[in-house]
Amino acid sequence: MRLTPTPSATETSGLGINRRQFLKRSGVATGGLAAASFMAAPMMKRAEAKTEVSSAPVETKRTICSHCSVGCGVYAEVQEGVWTKQEPAFDHPFNRGAHCAKGASLREHGHSDRRLKYPMKLEGGKWKKLSWEQAIEEVGDKVLELTEEHGPDSIYWLGSAKFSNEQAYLMRKFAALFGTNNVDHQARICHSTTVAGVANTWGYGAMTNSFNDMHNCRSILFIGSNPSEAHPVAMQHILLAKERSNAEIIVVDPRFTRTAAKATKFVRLRPGTDVAYIWGLLWHIFENGWEDEVYIQQRVYGMDEVRAEVANFPPEEVERITGVGEADMLDVARRLSQNRPGCVVWCMGGTQHSTGNNNTRAYCILELALGNIGKSGGGANIFRGHDNVQGATDLGLMSHSLPGYYGLSEGAWKHWSKVWNVDYNWIQNRYDQTEYHDGKPMHTNGITVSRWVDGVLEDPDRISQRTALKAMFYWGHAVNSQTRGPEMKQAMAKLDMMVVVDPYPTIAAVMHDRTDGVYLLPASTQFETRGSVTNSSRSLQWRDQVIEPMFESKPDHEIMYLMAKKLGFADELFRNIKVEGSVPHVEDITREFNAGMWTVGYTAQSPERMKAHQQNWHTFDFETLKARGGPADGDFYGMPWPCWGTPEMGHPGTPILYDTSKSVAEGGLNFRARFGVEHDGTNILAEGSWSKGAEIEDGYPEFTDKLLKQLGWWNDLTAEEKQAAEGKNWKTDLSGGIQRVCIKHGCAPFGNAKARALVWTFPDPIPKHREPLYTARRDLVKDYPTWPDSESIYRLPTLYASIQNKDVSAKYPITLTSGRLVEYEGGGEETRSIPWLAELQQEMFVEINPALANDEGIKDGDMVWVEGAEGGRVKVMAMVTERVGPDVVFMPFHFGGVYEGESLESRYPEGTVPYVLGESANTATTYGYDPVTLMQETKVTLCRVSLA
Amino acid sequence: MRAHFTTSRLLVVIMFLSLMVASLWLAPHAMAADPSAEIGQAVGTVDADTWRQVKDGDNSIDSRHDSNYNLINQSGETWRQIRNRWISPGGLIALGGMLAVLAIFYLLVGRNDLDHPRSGKLMLRWTALERAMHWTLATLFLILAITGINLLWGKFVFRNIFGDVFWANMIMATKLAHNYLGPLFSIMLILVLAKWLSLNLPKKHDFEWFRQGGGMIKGKHPDAGFANGGEKAWYWILASVGLVVIVSGLVMDFPIFGQTRDVMQWTNAFHGIASLILIAVSFGHIYIGTAGTEGALEGMKTGYVDETWAKQHHNLWYDEVKQAEAADPQSDPATAPDDALARQQRPN
Amino acid sequence: MAQMKFLCDAERCIECNGCVTACKNANETEWGIQRRRVVTLDDGKPSEVSISVACMHCDDAPCMAVCPTECFYKTDDGIVLHDKDICIGCGYCLYACPFGAPQFPQQGAFGERGKMDKCTFCAGGPAESPEEEYEKYGANRISEGKLPLCAEMCSTKALLAGDAETVSDIFRQRVVYRGHEDGAWSPVDKASHPDTSANLTTSSVTHQADSLAYDAARKG
Repeated sequence: MRLTPTPSATETSGLGINRRQFLKRSGVATGGLAAASFMAAPMMKRAEAKTEVSSAPVETKRTICSHCSVGCGVYAEVQEGVWTKQEPAFDHPFNRGAHCAKGASLREHGHSDRRLKYPMKLEGGKWKKLSWEQAIEEVGDKVLELTEEHGPDSIYWLGSAKFSNEQAYLMRKFAALFGTNNVDHQARICHSTTVAGVANTWGYGAMTNSFNDMHNCRSILFIGSNPSEAHPVAMQHILLAKERSNAEIIVVDPRFTRTAAKATKFVRLRPGTDVAYIWGLLWHIFENGWEDEVYIQQRVYGMDEVRAEVANFPPEEVERITGVGEADMLDVARRLSQNRPGCVVWCMGGTQHSTGNNNTRAYCILELALGNIGKSGGGANIFRGHDNVQGATDLGLMSHSLPGYYGLSEGAWKHWSKVWNVDYNWIQNRYDQTEYHDGKPMHTNGITVSRWVDGVLEDPDRISQRTALKAMFYWGHAVNSQTRGPEMKQAMAKLDMMVVVDPYPTIAAVMHDRTDGVYLLPASTQFETRGSVTNSSRSLQWRDQVIEPMFESKPDHEIMYLMAKKLGFADELFRNIKVEGSVPHVEDITREFNAGMWTVGYTAQSPERMKAHQQNWHTFDFETLKARGGPADGDFYGMPWPCWGTPEMGHPGTPILYDTSKSVAEGGLNFRARFGVEHDGTNILAEGSWSKGAEIEDGYPEFTDKLLKQLGWWNDLTAEEKQAAEGKNWKTDLSGGIQRVCIKHGCAPFGNAKARALVWTFPDPIPKHREPLYTARRDLVKDYPTWPDSESIYRLPTLYASIQNKDVSAKYPITLTSGRLVEYEGGGEETRSIPWLAELQQEMFVEINPALANDEGIKDGDMVWVEGAEGGRVKVMAMVTERVGPDVVFMPFHFGGVYEGESLESRYPEGTVPYVLGESANTATTYGYDPVTLMQETKVTLCRVSLA
Repeated sequence: MRAHFTTSRLLVVIMFLSLMVASLWLAPHAMAADPSAEIGQAVGTVDADTWRQVKDGDNSIDSRHDSNYNLINQSGETWRQIRNRWISPGGLIALGGMLAVLAIFYLLVGRNDLDHPRSGKLMLRWTALERAMHWTLATLFLILAITGINLLWGKFVFRNIFGDVFWANMIMATKLAHNYLGPLFSIMLILVLAKWLSLNLPKKHDFEWFRQGGGMIKGKHPDAGFANGGEKAWYWILASVGLVVIVSGLVMDFPIFGQTRDVMQWTNAFHGIASLILIAVSFGHIYIGTAGTEGALEGMKTGYVDETWAKQHHNLWYDEVKQAEAADPQSDPATAPDDALARQQRPN
Repeated sequence: MAQMKFLCDAERCIECNGCVTACKNANETEWGIQRRRVVTLDDGKPSEVSISVACMHCDDAPCMAVCPTECFYKTDDGIVLHDKDICIGCGYCLYACPFGAPQFPQQGAFGERGKMDKCTFCAGGPAESPEEEYEKYGANRISEGKLPLCAEMCSTKALLAGDAETVSDIFRQRVVYRGHEDGAWSPVDKASHPDTSANLTTSSVTHQADSLAYDAARKG
């Protein structure tokens, strides 16, 4: 069926007008009945001016939604520089035109009037407008002064998961050349425990399959994940699995979420008991012999140790810990076992715990036991948060690694200094040369974003660097997404300088009580520049620039250039990158990371290939993501990493990690040999399992020049490649020759090993259930205590037992957890400034079970105080609902601009107040950090609730 | 003279008949809307239990902020049927019927003339204030009645005749007039009712008056005080039905106190029914006060009535006034100011 | 002749409010006016279900029947539109509408509501120029051969828009492959599908139904 277009309303005279006229044209309707009708016309008044209808020629730009990691495609129609329409990209292989509320509101980014419009500084409590030159000058001088006095580690460069890949990479390189590892971004407080836990289990810490591949799932276990609200378009794929293959949708969560409403089975879990829950499932799986014996024997190391631990979790013990009865446990175990392949999906509910790395590894072990990893329809589908949190992680915008997970070892530095064409010694001299508790700053993990507050407040003698932090750059960060609000406020007061670089002022601009020393630099959004973005399933997508930077904002990479120039290392930073005026050429940055990112296969996604994919969305198959015909024929959409070798090699990308049913050249893989060849005398390479077509039909270690020579494959390299590969391995050979030859012989460059259930380098080699630091179940603390306090993790002393040992459960008996709303993202400053979204959620609230509400005399809609176990409290509206159980309350964390009952509205620069303000949930959250990654604990703490 | 009357009476009858025919045509001929069928088409895969709940509107959350609308407005269709099926044609029948009855009555009985010649002596019946109040109220009433009728039936007539632009302005003016004058009418009605309450308290002779049909037909004149039974009935209709009209009108006119959709529906229905009753009865009042009774209109025009008229229609009042005059011979009705006179001549 | 209808597949609607926001994007209705809304019943309970509703463009539209100004009309595509120049903001359409579709920018004393606004099925409304049309009614996607943006952007393809027969066909096919026992009126009984591989063999059928939804949304 097709509608017959009726031309009347679209045909116009067609005379174009220039942009200025276009923008200036008044919004008052004229002509027609309105003009003729004396009373009708004034009734048509509008609160906000609408976008003008224009007859100017339409340019259609292809971009990617910037709100979550699903990576939905968007057609942006631009007329004379104005974003006039947003059309659904039906041919986009991820979303087929679909959007959630956030995605459907993208166009408003091109019209927002709540943006930060020009550089500003806080002077005597008043916001003062600055020119860019002045701002860079003042900020730069202060940075130089502090560096001079306290060393480079006194400055913290807090980057963003909303950067493009190019910007994220550049920011990490910026910090490296500045001379500090005090650089990080939101992945730390998002999926750091996933990346650490999963990478240490089987090689790469990323979503193994794709959203589209989930159509093939026969069961999906959501634990600590709520895609209906956090990744709504993923639900399109999930519901297809439910409908097409009758897949079991199992939701395990403390809350009955919108996803639970679509589940075939919902299990309410006590927050913070994921490991015990998974062990409870495995207890039934082992008991009934439902595990995949052959798979485990061939591809998994350490499952016997897991069995031994699982034996401690019989049904009654699991019920004691998790609150889930035996029948439910058995039911879920049976559903998972009888519906294979199946996958597990987890998000912040699993990761944001002081036991996060244990949780993520437990999920992996469950899937390994079921033999689900490396299969279509199986996998560990870890949905990332921000649109480019995967890319920013891969590109090393983290305090513990250079780009590509190379780490901070001397080898890593030498690899990258070679790619950068910058002298290693020069870089070395940029760093503080002193050796501290953790080691030399250049080679030790920097302070994490989760703990910059402690980096400011902690006794400098106990910090593993010269001084405490003196200045913070919040370069695309929502501070209200971090725990311990009241202490953050103290830290902000103590800083010498705060610099917010963001399209919006953010909560960082208003929550401190400072009167001076705060700078706001307006950054552009991703729609005002171009570049690549990596979605959750590792596909790289290219974004067109939709509109010119709004107001006086500048794209982040330009601000980095201006800052580097001021700080005196722009020449080194941009040695391989052309700078046009003050704007670094984006594609040059892409090519530079292409040249160095061998570990994760970010090498073959050249700007040209990415743009070819972008221009040919329609050629990619919705089921397999493989292009059928067209310029990208045979490629998987976005060349999901690892996309091996050079662009010329034409690797199609790897749609499913560790899938042995395909050859490596076709995107197949096996588990990575990352942890050596043996442990405690046991072989940890794969046994009797290899990717299709591999010439080594067994396990093998990662490839080096020596291995190639041993195998007699050295002469497959060209003369040039030989020269580059000599003394190198698959990660450091800049010619890509080693990778090319491995793949030619059907082998994975990173070797072929077993996944390890036993991570001997971690605090708990086999994941253990440990009670949260703040728990109401004091009876379990004795049996499942947390770790002892640690003297230094990521340069900072970190507390465990000393917190847990204080029993505050009498005063704070209710468990507090937090999460997302579909309308907002992260700290919400951006989305709460979009009226279309803000209108949908106008009030910060706390979900309270009717039973608890009745006990406390709270009615739906009452204002209540929620006081966290460390005393931070928020005044919010009660939503009495059965979504939560009687001993748990839930708050969304997107709100800000109200602090402990007091509005901060007057502190915003004029014209930048978001449409909706509210208490930050994290004012009430508490201490707690994962020992491996310093992930913050947001999902389980204690509180009390009382009528306000 | 006689011929002229016949023609005009014929006209009235024809108008009335055409209204009757129109009312039949106006009766809803469309099939009843079926919201269940519409939503059945619009929403799939919802089981019977959920449907029950949809209809009850229990425990639902709406993406519209502060919305208290159920998913389905169950009573909307009921209201539509009440309005379009009953009130609209019913009102037409009521108004048309009333006009017809009056026309037929006029044709058959004619004007109620004075039985005796005018005395030439005048009696004060309505003070200036009272007349002002009456005519203000009457004017407002007429405007509201006309605009109200336009809101109910205007669309069937004027848009087709005058076109969209005229209609748009006309109906907007209608709505503004109705909504802004309505509260004024409410205030006036309350004042008038208060002012004339004591005159309208029912007396024994009023029942006798009614038993004799007000003397309209038999030509006899039953006892009546300052206000006769008919006037008192009109007063009490205004005090009851009129009150319904103004209360329901105010509820609708000020939807700023959280009135629910259901409340608005019911008040609208009551307002319509009550208003139409009032308008229908007002036709009678207007008829009696103008064409139906010789000398009635001049009382409300000038304030004074002829003693003959007073004796014929309000004999008890006439007697009362005469007794009072006898008791206080100093007073001179011709020169005394209205209010003093009123105190004397009006037994309230 | 097409009879345009919306259909919301409640088994797919996840209350993401994409439709509500898409509508805002297409029509730029002011703060407080949401032509489309999502209602969630039994929130937080196992029986929870979400339904996206807007003007349903009823066959026998109650709003049209009660409007004192006759500002409503039905297009040849079965879309119920209204003329804002004739609307007086009396609110009757809201009283009569089964779905709470009509909305008003104000709610003031003396019944001052402003002009009624409601879903136009992205078909605009009566105006003399595209500028005026967009200002008063929002987008006219129908004239461009496109369907309403809410349905086109629905995150899970729960909301379908198009000719009544087409959307019903898509929905019927979905119901068939979901394996409900009695049409769409029962929860799927897993026990009746002990071997799901049987279902996989029908995936070509199911795929067809799904791409039909995609096509319906895309092509109109």
